[in-house]
Amino acid sequence: MDASVVELRNISKYFAKVIANQDVSFSVQKGEVLALLGENGAGKSTIMKCLYGLYRADEGTILIDGQETVIHSPKDAMAKGIAMIQQHFSLVPAHTVTENIILGNVRGPIHMKECREKVRRIAEEAGFEIPVDARVRDLAVGVQQKVEIMKALYINARILIMDEPTAVLTPQESETLMRFIKKFAEKGNSVIFITHKLKEVMEVADRIVVMRDGRVAGNLRKEETDERELSRLMMGEDVIPAIRTDGEGTTSGEVVLDVQNIRVGGGKAPVLLDGISFQIRRGEVFGIAGVSGNGQDELCEVICGDLPLSEGKLLYCGRDIQHDSIRRRIDAGIGYVPVDRYRDGLIMNMTLAENMMLKTSFDKKWTRRGFIDQKKLNSYTQDIIREHQVKAPGPDAPAKSLSGGNQQKMVLGREIDVGSTLIVFNQPTRGLDMGAVNRIHRAILEEKAKGKGILMVSTELSEIFALSDWIAVLYKGRVMGIFRNGELSTQQIGLLMAGYDLEKGGGDEK
Amino acid sequence: MLNVLSRAIMMGTPLLLGALAEVYAERAGMMITAIEGIFLMGAWGGFVGTYISGSAVTGLLVAIGCGVITAAIYGVITVYLRQQQIVTGTAINILAAGFCAFFQRVLFGIPTTPLQIKTLPKLAIPLLSKIPWIGEIFFHQNILTYLVYLLIPVAWYVLNKTSVGLAIRSTGENPQAVDVAGMSVSRIRFLTVLLAGVAGGVAGSFYSLGYLGMYTSGIINGRGWIAFAICFLGNWSTKGVVLGTLVFGLADSISIYIQALSGGSAFPNELIIALPYILTIVLTVFRKSFNVPTQLGVPYSKEN
Repeated sequence: MDASVVELRNISKYFAKVIANQDVSFSVQKGEVLALLGENGAGKSTIMKCLYGLYRADEGTILIDGQETVIHSPKDAMAKGIAMIQQHFSLVPAHTVTENIILGNVRGPIHMKECREKVRRIAEEAGFEIPVDARVRDLAVGVQQKVEIMKALYINARILIMDEPTAVLTPQESETLMRFIKKFAEKGNSVIFITHKLKEVMEVADRIVVMRDGRVAGNLRKEETDERELSRLMMGEDVIPAIRTDGEGTTSGEVVLDVQNIRVGGGKAPVLLDGISFQIRRGEVFGIAGVSGNGQDELCEVICGDLPLSEGKLLYCGRDIQHDSIRRRIDAGIGYVPVDRYRDGLIMNMTLAENMMLKTSFDKKWTRRGFIDQKKLNSYTQDIIREHQVKAPGPDAPAKSLSGGNQQKMVLGREIDVGSTLIVFNQPTRGLDMGAVNRIHRAILEEKAKGKGILMVSTELSEIFALSDWIAVLYKGRVMGIFRNGELSTQQIGLLMAGYDLEKGGGDEK
Repeated sequence: MLNVLSRAIMMGTPLLLGALAEVYAERAGMMITAIEGIFLMGAWGGFVGTYISGSAVTGLLVAIGCGVITAAIYGVITVYLRQQQIVTGTAINILAAGFCAFFQRVLFGIPTTPLQIKTLPKLAIPLLSKIPWIGEIFFHQNILTYLVYLLIPVAWYVLNKTSVGLAIRSTGENPQAVDVAGMSVSRIRFLTVLLAGVAGGVAGSFYSLGYLGMYTSGIINGRGWIAFAICFLGNWSTKGVVLGTLVFGLADSISIYIQALSGGSAFPNELIIALPYILTIVLTVFRKSFNVPTQLGVPYSKEN
């Protein structure tokens, strides 16, 4: 247990002038699960990419089995028994499971039969059920992750690095993963587990290295610490979570959005949403839980007018808006914070000010004698920057120069103004650090208090529980049930997210 | 009739060569938009090499050299400097046209009669060439055509059944997966570009060495682009490319036949020449499943 399999000594890594890692030192023992905990941008992934040979460290040394080792490429790392599963899977969707696993690990002619057998055997040993000839694009995300793990097992990795492995999984899938990790480590292997979720850390790790601003902020055994201390180390300060005030305004307010039996797709096209009905009242946060890709994006797009519905009714303040253009819906006071701010939220090469008038560019309020009233636009942008505590040099800064969290705050500021009556949030805090998450949660609750109706899609159950008055679970385009917050346990929601009906007890898949 | 078919095979030879290399490169994510220029350089290099040395083998080697150099310039700019492939290719095509025209003039001045070289002889394969019909069509060809016959199964096997092929196909679909598996995306892509340089050089020299026996500035006249289109038409597979080549080769051959027959007056042979292009467009619009590599034409940059 006391032999260091990997030791990092004083590693520093710079990108241009930005410090990604500075003077990072820690080690991993044989049979140990090490959690690398930190906010986004704390340098967790970077340090691991140095170890895996994707980046070259600028300073410092890496010791493997006590020997100083230079790792130039993933090939070197793999030769030393190190495997890394990237946050965004590195699989070829058009290829089969077997082809993906043997990529880079075969030479010359491929004997498909033997490879397939070997892959099948490894899957069996690991207790995975994987169709070895299926194309990766046809597999669920949880299964794709198992394919990634199989890639590591195929090369007999003894040090497995996993970058945010649970981000895309249901609670049950995460549990399976945790069990695998523990089992894998028990066999004398080591696991480095990158995460920003405290709960997982406490569940699976033997030791925890906390990173902040590219440095090691703490190196603790699990028994010696608790979530509170870890969160303080991670943030550098105590975070007081936003708290929802229960009861007020619920069920009594006027209905803002009435979704009746909505269906999208059908006929020759795949059915994306089916039989969806719910109501959102003023002063309510209606949370939609579910694993991403189960129709959440489509639902948001239907409400905002980006996607036509094939059946059903969409009543907004009592009026059917399904044939209204997006522009009319914006005028009517529907705000929309899209899931992908890079694609749908901002134009990265334009300035913040320009981005702020994107959705209302046709509005006369921005113009003076036919030209854009730059002064007014700038002061408006400045207001948003101040109000939402955005770290930005000014209205003239290009959107791309801001960090993800600050970009999201800008989008949020704009949409809160657009959405005078209803705001749709699609995963508003995805990929953001705790500080920004907290700020955005507060903003959402403030808007709720103003009496707006709020639809919030999230894949983070903690977020759903923290903010929602009502919780609906989406699975394969259908609502698995609508519940008051507090009616369901995490366990039950997890089952619903995986498609199991609570009353019938069985899944709809098997 | 036999003559037309035999000619279709001949005319298809360089197209298939170019298209096969294009399939390899595009499966790795590289559009060889410089293919027209590579063909032209090959044609010119083949002519110059043969004319000066008197040996077709030397000519072929010079053609390959010219093709590889042109491809290498394209590869360095697109793979390592990560520039836009279509723009780069277009620039290189224009450069190649100017280069050949200029140095042709420098080397040979303006001759009163066109400079001639001996074309590659047609070799009849013993026994096989005696088969009625088939022998006439397939086995009265020059050496390059026979080489391409052999190349077809090899190209298919390597792309679909070996680790090299798997790496190439993965690079066009998800270069990051290749990177993480410890292989160099840039190297794979650059090598496929060089391969296209070799193939394109030989293909280009076919027109000067194997067919016309001379060099004119319009010798390629868009045939590089045809090879490019065949890759598309063949849905990025080796088998599809073979079929696509037959379609284009046949059209080329029929149009020459009609031209010779009628003196180019009675039947608009442009219609026949246009047919394969129309077919490509029609198929592109109506084809259901596309095999197009998802990362085709997208530069890969490893952040570091």
